[in-house]
Order: sequence, then C-alpha cells, then structure tokens
Amino acid sequence: MIIIRSLFYILIFPGVLFTAAFGLFLAGVDRKVVARMQHRIGPPLRQPMYDFFKLLGKETIIPHAANKIAFLAAPVIGFVSLALIMLFIPIFNFTAFSGSADLIVILYLITIPGVALIVGGSSSGSPYAGIGISREMVTMMAYELPFVLILLAVARKAGGDTLAFSMETISKWQAANGSMIAQWSMIPAAIAMLLVIPAEVGTQPFDVAEAETEICEGPLIEYSGAPLGLFKLNTAMKMLVMSGLFTSLFFGGIRTGFYILDVIVFMLICVAVTIVCMSTIHAVTARLKIEHLFKFFWTFVSGLALVSLILVWCGL
Amino acid sequence: MFNKLINDSAAKSPWLYHINSGSCNGCDIELVACLTPRYDAERFGFKLAGTPRHADIVVVSGPITSQSRERLIRTLAQVPEPKCVVSLGSCPKSGNVFKGSYSVEAPLDNYCHVDVSVAGCTPKPEAIMEGLYKAALILKEKREAMHK
Repeated sequence: MIIIRSLFYILIFPGVLFTAAFGLFLAGVDRKVVARMQHRIGPPLRQPMYDFFKLLGKETIIPHAANKIAFLAAPVIGFVSLALIMLFIPIFNFTAFSGSADLIVILYLITIPGVALIVGGSSSGSPYAGIGISREMVTMMAYELPFVLILLAVARKAGGDTLAFSMETISKWQAANGSMIAQWSMIPAAIAMLLVIPAEVGTQPFDVAEAETEICEGPLIEYSGAPLGLFKLNTAMKMLVMSGLFTSLFFGGIRTGFYILDVIVFMLICVAVTIVCMSTIHAVTARLKIEHLFKFFWTFVSGLALVSLILVWCGL
Repeated sequence: MFNKLINDSAAKSPWLYHINSGSCNGCDIELVACLTPRYDAERFGFKLAGTPRHADIVVVSGPITSQSRERLIRTLAQVPEPKCVVSLGSCPKSGNVFKGSYSVEAPLDNYCHVDVSVAGCTPKPEAIMEGLYKAALILKEKREAMHK
C-alpha cells in the first residue's frame, strides 16, 4: 500500500506528471502575459506543450566533439532533480515526503539543474557553450548567497530560538501564527526572493547565460531534438518549483482545510508569483551584463535578505 | 496517439532561423516586422531561434554571394530533420537585379530543396506570414512522412 502511495506521489501528483504539466502551463502564462504587455495577442497557453512535443519528434544530432554520455544524461539529471524537489515542497497541509532537514535538501537539489546545464554545455564542445557555462556559473554564485540568507531568515523566524530546517515545521508555524509575509520583518526577504526567482529560472534581465541574441543560447547551442525539449521542460519546471517554494515559505498561512481547495489556491498563488516576478520584470527590462548581475545580487538583493536576517535575529 | 500529438505540434511550433546570404537588409527588416506587435507571428508559435540546431524553418534572404555560399550550405546541413527552407524575396529565387554578377550564385534551388518561395522586392509582411504558415503545414506533412 505504502509503495503504491509513494509511486503515486513520485509519478503523478506532486511528482513528475503534475510538475511537468503545471510547469508548462506556467511557462505558457508567462509568454501570454509578456505578449499582452507588449500589445501583442501572444501564443496560446498550450504553446510550451506544443514546443515540447515538437522537439520530441525532431532528429537528435550529437556533435563529433561531444562527450556522448554526459551530453545526453545532463538534461535527464536536471529533470529528475526538479521532479524530486516538488516532493519536498509542502502544499499547505500536504507534503509527499517530509524530513527533519528538507530545506537543506531543497537547497542542494535546486543547484543540480544549473549544474546539469553546465555539464551538458561543457560536454558539447562548442566555444559559445564555453562562454555560456562560465556565465551560468557566475549567475549561480550570484543568486546562491541571497537565497541562503533568505532561507536562514525564514528558518530562524519559524524556529524561534533554534533554526527550523524542516518545511513541515515552517508550514505548521505559519498555520499557527499566520503567513510569513504578514510579519513585517520578513518583507525584505520576500522582495529578495522575488528577485532570486527570475535569476534561478533564467528569464529576461538575468538570462545572461542563455542570451540567444549574443551567444546563441549558450550551453544549449548544440542541443537539438528530445534533449533540448527536456531542457526547455526543465526551465518550465523550475518556474513551478521556485514559485511553489515562495508560496510555501511566505504564504503558508492561507489554508482552507480541504486538500483540493488547498491545491487550487496553491496553483493560483504560483500563477500570481510567476506573473509578478517573471512576466512583469521580463516585459519591462533588457538583459543585464554579467558583472552588473553579480554586483546587483551581492549588494542590493543580499542586502535586503541580510536586513531581514538581522531583524529576525533581534527577535522582531 | 502520442505520434499524432507530435505530428500536430510540428505545425504549431515552428522555430525560425534566418540566414542572410548577402541581402540588402530590406527583407530582413520585413521579417522582423512580422514579429512586432502589429503582425505578431508568435501567435502561431513562430519564434526566432538563436542557432540552426533549434530551427525548423530556415529563412534564406539575399542573392547568395560567393563568399556566403559555403557558409549557407554548412548551416543548412546543421538543421535537424524535419526541416523546411523558405526563400525570402526575389534574390534567392532568381538573383533579382544582381543576376549575372560575377560574385552572385543566385538560385537557391541549386544548393537545397526550397519548400516555399516568397517573391517580392521586398515582400510585404502579410505575404511573409502566409509563406511561413504554409511552411509550417509542410513541416507537419514531412513529419508524418517520416513516421508512418
């Protein structure tokens, strides 16, 4: 019985199928909203799904210079780790798997898709991919620092005197004391998190690693067919994972008591977060340079997260 | 059922790669005009891809100068199947006003199979959109022929 339930969790509900389908939907919402903001009609909401299935039907070319195994395994590793993260993110009352330190597990798993992109790009043997992966590495270093500071602030707030690294504890604390966003000391951390999400996903102002107009999509340059489709799916799933993490960290107090309603509210908040921090910022900004991105994250965004951390540590 | 979904998607998400083989930039401007808010080709799923590996439709403009011929052939070979080639403007079709020049090796048909030709100097964005849409439908036919 427990095996069937675990398989259901892994393959269908918060796992592979739900993450892939809802992630592609979020990517569709993003493209549609950006198009509407630019006074265009925009593609249908199912467009990322069409893109994914079209890429499955294309020929897969493996360059002579490429390391075949790493080239093909990289997108699969990214896909698996993203589906895994979703199992640890609580949808209000419901968690598929919970542990005593799953916040740290999430922190580690969330870097794996970025590492997979670096491995895939570097094994393709293209000089453009080389530039792309060096930029991807700098981007990862840039957003990891504020991201860790935010998680520390949240963990300290929920844990009281100790650090609560369990998502379940954070969820229960919010059920008892109201959403994390309602605490004024957490508002700088929430703003910082909203700026970390687009960098993690790699949308417009922070898409220096995959700049299609200057370095031909960087690490993805040699990919075609199904592996490229998996990488596009990974980006869409990252949107869901990051906005889902934001929802359960900062909006965990909004709960109805019914599982189905909870899931619907969770999905609606995910859509709202996507529109606010990805589509809007995408529509109004141009791409940053890599050194500007690094400076922005280590000064402004880290500063906001640090303000929150200090306030929380002072007991506010 | 899965195969049918992939076949249907082939017509709905064509990604473009644009090769300029010595064009005067007129056709290139009109192609970009297709993506602007006024015409918005993205509503049919068209997207400009950064590299030939991601492309479904290759749009060739310009009269194919001797310098660009080799690069054109190499770039076309990098596009994964199923693919479509669209010649944009009169230049790749006939050489246009440059016909007979020592540095122009015009008809594109000599180097690859051309699926759709959009004639005009320069063609209107409406004509380009129609040509690209036809190419997307041809793409679906090709995919169906690949996997019977």
